[in-house]
Amino acid sequence: MKICLIIPAFNEAHIIKKVLEELIVLKYSIILVDDGSTDGTYQIASGYPIIPLRHRINLGQGAALETGMEAARIMNADFVIHFDADGQHDPADIELVLAPLQNAKADVVFGSRFLTREPTGISWPRKMILKTARWVNYFITGILLTDAHNGLRALNKKALNTIHFQQPGMAHASEILYAVKNNSLRYAEIPVHIRYTPYSKKKGQGALGAVNILFHLLFKRN
Amino acid sequence: MTKFQVIGILSMIFILISYFRSIRRPAIAKIIVSLILISGIVFFLYPDLTNQLAHYLGIGRGADLIFYLSILGFAYLFILLYSKIRKLESQLASVIRKESLESIHKPENNAG
Repeated sequence: MKICLIIPAFNEAHIIKKVLEELIVLKYSIILVDDGSTDGTYQIASGYPIIPLRHRINLGQGAALETGMEAARIMNADFVIHFDADGQHDPADIELVLAPLQNAKADVVFGSRFLTREPTGISWPRKMILKTARWVNYFITGILLTDAHNGLRALNKKALNTIHFQQPGMAHASEILYAVKNNSLRYAEIPVHIRYTPYSKKKGQGALGAVNILFHLLFKRN
Repeated sequence: MTKFQVIGILSMIFILISYFRSIRRPAIAKIIVSLILISGIVFFLYPDLTNQLAHYLGIGRGADLIFYLSILGFAYLFILLYSKIRKLESQLASVIRKESLESIHKPENNAG
């Protein structure tokens, strides 16, 4: 069983060391896609026993994920995990999101910060945005998840070969729902823990990010 | 002929010439652009025509008609340019992706 962790990273030099050190002990193949960072993220990542890939210019998180997925397809991976580079995901959750794939219960597993465990340090405006996004996603894609925009996801080979991210930016979380819906993939949600730190919050998207995503989706077909 | 008519008609002719001098366009675009610019020249020559057309369409003044039409025109142009940019973005992404994946090799015993 070949399991690939895909980590899209853009200017994460301050934290990438810590994130990678937590992950390399887990014995998965790690594909780090540096999305045109200018702070030496790629150089730091290259010092670890991982597969570092580099976009010459910044394309967006969706594009970086797709590059990582393409690498996983070439490497003939059985399962892939999407994992954020900013330290907000807990490496202990990887096994949890993998479980439904390994038991052949689902093709795609979404991490959810709202399913049972209460996230630490989440602000109420962020909570409101995520709740609203959840319903917007439902009206657009017909799938209602408890958490609309969680970066921790797991895909099996079938999903990996079916889902191709076309949108370069942050709309990939909705795009994956379209793909699940259109290809009748089975999906599951697993509670995961998000570690909100001042750093991850600064790196994360503000309220305007949600508006951006909505417009991207509405103009999808252009 | 008023001064503004001269300026307007000369600008139209200038735009028409520079449009056809630049890179090749699809025939349908040439026809549409020519029609728009030629009708522009006609309206500059006979401003009353716009009033008549406006009344026919239920709009008060010819100037208003031109104003509404230009808003529609700009909106269309915006969508056109946006979709062009999206297309370029995705082409760029595939080029960058291809380059970044050059170091990845297929596993030796690829079971499929």
